[in-house]
Amino acid sequence: MTGRRAGRADLAERVLGGPVLWGGLALLTLFAIGPFVWVFLSSFKTRAELYATPLVYLPKQITLANYVDAWTSSLTPFSRFFANSLWVSSVTMVATTVISILAGYALARFRFVGRDVFLLVFLATQMFPAVLLIAPLLSQWYALGLIDTYQALIYSNFSFTVPFTVWMLVGYFESIPRELEESAMIDGCGRLGALLRIVLPLAAPGVAATAIFAFVSSWSELLFAITFTTQTEMRTLSAGLLYMVGQYEIQWGQLSAGVMISTVPVAVLFTFLQRHLIRGLTAGALKG
Amino acid sequence: MSYRDATIAAPLARPLVTRRTRELLLGYAYLLPVAVCLGGTVLVPILKAIHMSLYNHVLIKPQEYRFIGLGNYARLLGDDVFWLTLWNSAWWVFGSVSLQFLGGFAAALLLHQAFAGRALVRTVTLLPWVIPGVVVALVWEYIYQPNYGILNDLLFRLGWLHERVAWLSDPRLAMPAVIMTNIWRGVPFFAIMLLAGLQAIPDELYEAARVDGASVTQRFWHVTLPLLRPIIVVATATRIIWTFNYADLIFVMTSGGPANATQITSTYTLLQAYSNLDFGYAATLSVVLLLIMLAFTIAYLRVTRGVESVA
Repeated sequence: MTGRRAGRADLAERVLGGPVLWGGLALLTLFAIGPFVWVFLSSFKTRAELYATPLVYLPKQITLANYVDAWTSSLTPFSRFFANSLWVSSVTMVATTVISILAGYALARFRFVGRDVFLLVFLATQMFPAVLLIAPLLSQWYALGLIDTYQALIYSNFSFTVPFTVWMLVGYFESIPRELEESAMIDGCGRLGALLRIVLPLAAPGVAATAIFAFVSSWSELLFAITFTTQTEMRTLSAGLLYMVGQYEIQWGQLSAGVMISTVPVAVLFTFLQRHLIRGLTAGALKG
Repeated sequence: MSYRDATIAAPLARPLVTRRTRELLLGYAYLLPVAVCLGGTVLVPILKAIHMSLYNHVLIKPQEYRFIGLGNYARLLGDDVFWLTLWNSAWWVFGSVSLQFLGGFAAALLLHQAFAGRALVRTVTLLPWVIPGVVVALVWEYIYQPNYGILNDLLFRLGWLHERVAWLSDPRLAMPAVIMTNIWRGVPFFAIMLLAGLQAIPDELYEAARVDGASVTQRFWHVTLPLLRPIIVVATATRIIWTFNYADLIFVMTSGGPANATQITSTYTLLQAYSNLDFGYAATLSVVLLLIMLAFTIAYLRVTRGVESVA
């Protein structure tokens, strides 16, 4: 697997390093983005090209009409859905991060009664089916008058973001030597001061992973979004896309544009920050 | 003047609470936000779901709302569709996770090699995993579309197909089609986990095996696989639980159809809630899902504990 310098490479190794490697990579890349490329191309096609037989693969004249229609249509105003998703995901991200930093730090550093129970609860909560929460949360938000509000969506998102991020951050904080903050505390820092000034900067990659995870998973959330909102202007991108399908015969052009609009922000975020996200996620899983 | 004030080297006034108690209280204070937030969004709703499952509670028939004890559970035992959904769930989980694992393992081995442009390829191949589930579902619905879907068109051009196939509305093909979609989405998860595992294996072990004359395949079986075992167990168990619960893809692509061919237990629960507005029965189904998951979780914890002691 590593450098080739150690002695003669056997035949299998040469085949694996050459044709198999490149063929495999080509196949893998095609598999991963092929479906996307197809939808991306479709989003620029005219109606005639979208429904032509045999299929037109590359659009002859690129049109932005699908994007304009999706973005401004009164039935599926993607500009509004986009703003809703951005707000819900951002607030979920910030709140989840703050809550799970406090909880993760407490679980990593304090030895108090019930600590193991807490840890177990966080692990178990990640495994609950989301469908379990739908009916009871609906009646709860209804009773509190929160249907068609951002709060209902943000609070509900905590149910799946927080358990995972706490679990992830406990591992991160545990990997940071205790002595660092103890010496800061001797120098007159309080607990919170030590957490903010010493621990957090060192745990920055873990905190970043937490934040991206919370953002990306609330951006993708569907079931809560369709259950706790009834008005068009309160829909998120996921819910908006689903309603687009439910409305009438599917307009694949507009839908392709909607798909691209919903995907691009998370794809960009992921591309820039994937290193942190992957390190944070695998640290959580490797810990077991 | 008390005795303590009179001494010269007086210790600091004894705090009202000991350091130990203070730490304890501080720990609980830090946990307060998380407790409130999970109490309100997970704990109370679960108790409420258990409560709801004991009532005949159909939204459009409020006059029939009454306590029926275990009536919903009795109905579930005699519900053929429920047993079918368990069977379908087993296929859905087994088909998805086994092939996601194989694909993800192959991808991880490829991405572990050193080659030009590796960072870019890595990012690109991991993308299907971060995009929203509804997007994945719609992208593949478009691909499977009988008239202007690219899959039929490609198979036509290759001469492998002579009439249009309605992938998602043929009862025999619908389940393989949704599983294929789920594989596309889940391969990156295994790729990431196993890649992290591969990178944690020290190069010296391979060098040593090479010096001992082990071939590529021998090195794979005797070095790579045993060392990856813990992460394989954890990743697979996590994925089994997650796939069993996951309803979005099927919910959007087929809503469990045609003729319940793709109805898994979690989509059946959604169907009861959204289409039949039967919240009592939906709650019952979700409580049963929860019990199955708890059994899985306990098994999972045992397995991971076992793995930890091995690792």
